[in-house]
Amino acid sequence: MLAVSPLRNTGNDGKQGEKENNFSISPEEFPDFGEGNLLESIDFDDLFVGINDGDVLPDLEMDQEILAGDFPVSGGEESEMNNSFMSEKAEVDSSRSQEGEDKVLGLGCVNSTSNKGDEIMSGSDEAETKLKSLPNKEAYKTRKSSAAQAKNNNQGKRKVKVDWTPDLHRRFVQAVEQLGVDKAVPSRILEIMGIDCLTRHNIASHLQKYRSHRKHLLAREAEAAGWSQKRQMYGGGGGGKRDISPWLAPTMGFPPITPMHHQFRPLHVWGHPSMDQSLMHMWPKYLAHSPPPPPPPPTTWAHPPPPDPSFWHHHQRVSNGLTPGTPYFQHPLPLTRFPAPPVTGIPPPHAMYKVDHGIPATVTEQSGPHPLVDFHPSKESIDAAIGDVLLKPWLPLPLGLKPPSIDSVMGELQRHGIPEIPPSLA
Amino acid sequence: MANSSASYIHMVHHLIEECLVFNMSKEECMEALSKHADIKPIITSTVWSELEKENKEFFEAYTKRREGQVTEMEAKNRIQNMLSKSPKRETEETKQ
Repeated sequence: MLAVSPLRNTGNDGKQGEKENNFSISPEEFPDFGEGNLLESIDFDDLFVGINDGDVLPDLEMDQEILAGDFPVSGGEESEMNNSFMSEKAEVDSSRSQEGEDKVLGLGCVNSTSNKGDEIMSGSDEAETKLKSLPNKEAYKTRKSSAAQAKNNNQGKRKVKVDWTPDLHRRFVQAVEQLGVDKAVPSRILEIMGIDCLTRHNIASHLQKYRSHRKHLLAREAEAAGWSQKRQMYGGGGGGKRDISPWLAPTMGFPPITPMHHQFRPLHVWGHPSMDQSLMHMWPKYLAHSPPPPPPPPTTWAHPPPPDPSFWHHHQRVSNGLTPGTPYFQHPLPLTRFPAPPVTGIPPPHAMYKVDHGIPATVTEQSGPHPLVDFHPSKESIDAAIGDVLLKPWLPLPLGLKPPSIDSVMGELQRHGIPEIPPSLA
Repeated sequence: MANSSASYIHMVHHLIEECLVFNMSKEECMEALSKHADIKPIITSTVWSELEKENKEFFEAYTKRREGQVTEMEAKNRIQNMLSKSPKRETEETKQ
């Protein structure tokens, strides 16, 4: 210990105090590294020798030994600490990390492959932590105790940074679906997923985000569903609101927003396992993965758009030269992309609400069971919708359900005495 | 011939989806399609059933939801009836 101090002092006066303090703290922690190795540490103020037992940075060899043995791979609890020090100790680290990581990589099930100064290296992080003894007792404590003491890190508590890849997320969703969204318990999910790298906490927080996301999606659907209600209203009301933008319609006190709210809930549920893959992947920042072009996602709840033009044209000159669906979703469309935002941060969701605050607000307010004013759609609106389909068969299906088996249908019809369709007799 | 059958079935499928958006029941759908699109109810019914087979989860949820909605409606009607009988309470209701 004593031998160390002077060495360090020569290197960095500024850090002297720290070093000395450090050293004095736990002399017995000093590994039996050769004196010569200490020289290496001279230049690295951040490498705090001594505190860490055996992990003393200065000695590469030591690191490996330590890595091989002692660390509970707790998955980067200490990644925090490491991050902050990574850059500083870049030089040393790189050399150390090489060796350290080689050993550690096998331990951790980290997703990322980058190691140097990358906080994602949870597995190696841990080793790194050990390597870079932090200048304070905290590091020491952290190492000593279990990695679970993330709180000791300078950056506060942060768990292993799990990289929710689309694949991982898909497995997660499968597990959740299997258990039932509302009944999905993190521990069970973890079991089903069977991935060691994930902690229950990772799952729990991901689940929370996921549920919140679903709620948003459903709100969107409800909103969209509200449009069909609106359409009926307009159909019945004779377009009294010609100049009112669609967004205001709900605020007119027309309660029906919610009636349809549930309509799409099953849509979402059903769609989840398979159909909504794209939506799911749209979720946490995976827009890039499956960037559903605006039409498709809204398609699921975009029933309103296709028939809308006919209504809008009748009742509203809203058309801004928009093709079916577009005007309608000018706002909602961006919203459908919001799935990414909620995960990345708070602002986006708020922004989203700001954009459409007329509607989402009303929708969410009335998201609960609501009197079904228009439980039975008006004849006019139905007629119009049907007419639209007949005239424009190329329009996308509003729900996008899996089509029935032709053979099955034909067979069934024949059994009922209908040999061919379209029937020759009207 | 097969093509026309396929496209016809597709059309009926499309129409049924529209009805679903309108939250209609199978019967309502059959009636609507027959009335507005001249489609034999048996055809609508068959396609609906087939769709149901292919999209079990959706239809299960759809049905459940409709049932819930019907219940809601009935409850609402009951409440409204009660309210209409009691003028005082109307103010509370309107505050909603």
